[in-house]
Amino acid sequence: MRLPDFARSTTFRSALSIAGVFAVSIAILFSFVYWRTAAYMTGRIDSLIVGESAVIASEPGPERLSLVDSRLKGDPRRIKAAGLFAPDGRRIAGNVETLPRGLTIGAAPGDTTVERLGPSGPERERVRAVARRTPDGEVLVIGRNIDELDEIAAIVERALALGIIPALILSIVAGAGLSLRAQRRIEQVTETTRRIVGGDLRERLPTRGVSGDPLDQLAEIVNSMLDEIERLIHEIAGVGDDIAHEVRTPLTRVRAVLERGREHATGVEELREVVDRAIGGLDKSLAIVTALLRIAEIEHGRRLAAFGTVDLASVVMEVAELYDPIAEDRGVALEIGDTAASKVSGDRDLLFEAIANLVDNAIKFTPAGGRVELDLSKHAGEVRLRVADTGPGISEGERDVVTRRFYRSDKSRQAQGVGLGLSLVAAIAKLHGFALHITTGPGCCIEIAAPEAG
Amino acid sequence: MTKVLLIEDDEETAQEIVGELVDRGYSVERSATGTEGLEMARAGAPDVLVVDRLLPGMDGLSVIERLRREQIRTPVLVLSALGEVDDRVRGLRSGGDDYLAKPFVLIELVARIEALLRRPSDTRATVLRVGPLELDLIDRSARRGARQIELLPRECRLLEYMMRREGQLVTRAMLFEDVWNYRFVPDSNLVDVHMGRLRHKVDATGEPPMILSQRGAGFVLRAPA
Repeated sequence: MRLPDFARSTTFRSALSIAGVFAVSIAILFSFVYWRTAAYMTGRIDSLIVGESAVIASEPGPERLSLVDSRLKGDPRRIKAAGLFAPDGRRIAGNVETLPRGLTIGAAPGDTTVERLGPSGPERERVRAVARRTPDGEVLVIGRNIDELDEIAAIVERALALGIIPALILSIVAGAGLSLRAQRRIEQVTETTRRIVGGDLRERLPTRGVSGDPLDQLAEIVNSMLDEIERLIHEIAGVGDDIAHEVRTPLTRVRAVLERGREHATGVEELREVVDRAIGGLDKSLAIVTALLRIAEIEHGRRLAAFGTVDLASVVMEVAELYDPIAEDRGVALEIGDTAASKVSGDRDLLFEAIANLVDNAIKFTPAGGRVELDLSKHAGEVRLRVADTGPGISEGERDVVTRRFYRSDKSRQAQGVGLGLSLVAAIAKLHGFALHITTGPGCCIEIAAPEAG
Repeated sequence: MTKVLLIEDDEETAQEIVGELVDRGYSVERSATGTEGLEMARAGAPDVLVVDRLLPGMDGLSVIERLRREQIRTPVLVLSALGEVDDRVRGLRSGGDDYLAKPFVLIELVARIEALLRRPSDTRATVLRVGPLELDLIDRSARRGARQIELLPRECRLLEYMMRREGQLVTRAMLFEDVWNYRFVPDSNLVDVHMGRLRHKVDATGEPPMILSQRGAGFVLRAPA
């Protein structure tokens, strides 16, 4: 991977900004530690010097002088400062040369600078000091070097520097690692998508199988969408071939009939017969095209406007009445089971057409002596229409494909019809949002489940 | 001679329709646009109009609306592509006009034109008679001569429809639309089966047939010669 690309990537930039926030919070934490430590030490120094100055100031004159001296003597680190000044400001004792400026007599301890005598002459240093007037008018200054505080600050700063750089590096590396991984996945997705766009519909986006991973979830949604697209494309491609085949078959037959007729027909009567057979074949091709257009019309949902409340029971009765003679002719018993008034929301004509197709199929595929049952039932706000027959049924493997255009079970090759009935039923059910279930027991059972209308 | 005005822009379809209608003894005028067709409908006083729904310029339904507004009540048969059969087109039937979805068989077109030209006989009559056949619409009983015929309710409606159109070709689609009130049927053979049953009752063995089937087209009911 080239660095510029990588550095430009959103994930990398967000990793960088997270590292920045991390660094700032570490700095704040260290500042807080420093601030609290300094405050604590200042407090301690203050109470020490206030106590000391009170003791020394309360002593009578000569004692005071010796106390100042002894205080300065026992100080190997030279951190103590003390000075005793006459009321006119002249130094009487101690290592502080002049009365420090900015130090109010009798006030609380404060930061100031004192001039003191070191081994190599006078030197200035920063102290925490308190000034107090003795009962006899002299001014006592007691201080303590606060370089220690600076040292602590330096220690904290060093610790911060030592801690924050590895932490920053660590967070950038971790962020970059995460970014790299995300980047790589996105690249994989992009690459795969490109291949899919390029026509390889079998490709699927990679998933890591981690539950709850948003990228995985997205990939799964896209994958199921691809499944559907692939299925549709195959179906369309298949349908194109099927249409050509199904229309060609009767046309080929028509051609043969006409050809034979021209060769062999001897009279007008015979020719007429040939023409009639040709017309019959053409009608069949036309019927296929019409049925296809009809399915397309329904699938495009152009009839949604005709929706209303429909009593399925009355539709079932009408279908049964329409099919009764044909069932009787074929020696199939058409039986109506339960038909409680069952109101659903839909297009009456389309629902009639769907049920008629189901019954039509059932009668066609049921051998003489068999039975076709039609019934309606209600389950928990759902109306179920069931058409069951005692025909050969649909095998497990065929269940998903029977609603495809032109699909005909091998068992039904002999049965007449154009093989579009169930596709039409499926299209009508889909338009209505009804579920279509195909089950097989002995025979075939098709069920349409619709929400009951109020 | 019955005058038909055809408003159809597709040259081939128009030629076929004109040829068929001329063969059947109609006088046919044809226009390829809505505007010109409207003029011809106003001026030529045709007996029936056959109008394609999609036309350049003014579409078929607008032509009809314009004519109706001008109180011209010539019956109309609208030709519409299957996908374009919407409520406006379907509504034509209730207005006494009719429509036909493309592609259609010419005999269907002819049967519908004739149905438009010959409006059903008096709808107020309660007893219909064709030759020896008699149908009482009140108690729904039928007789042929002295023989009583038992009819199921649907058979009764079917017979009524045929008797009101005596001597006229009715197609399977017309029967299905008017007697069953549905347009689409999985198997056109269904109508034949129902008609077969009715015919069996109307034309008993030995009697001259009154219900005749016309191959590939439909049925005609007429008094025996």
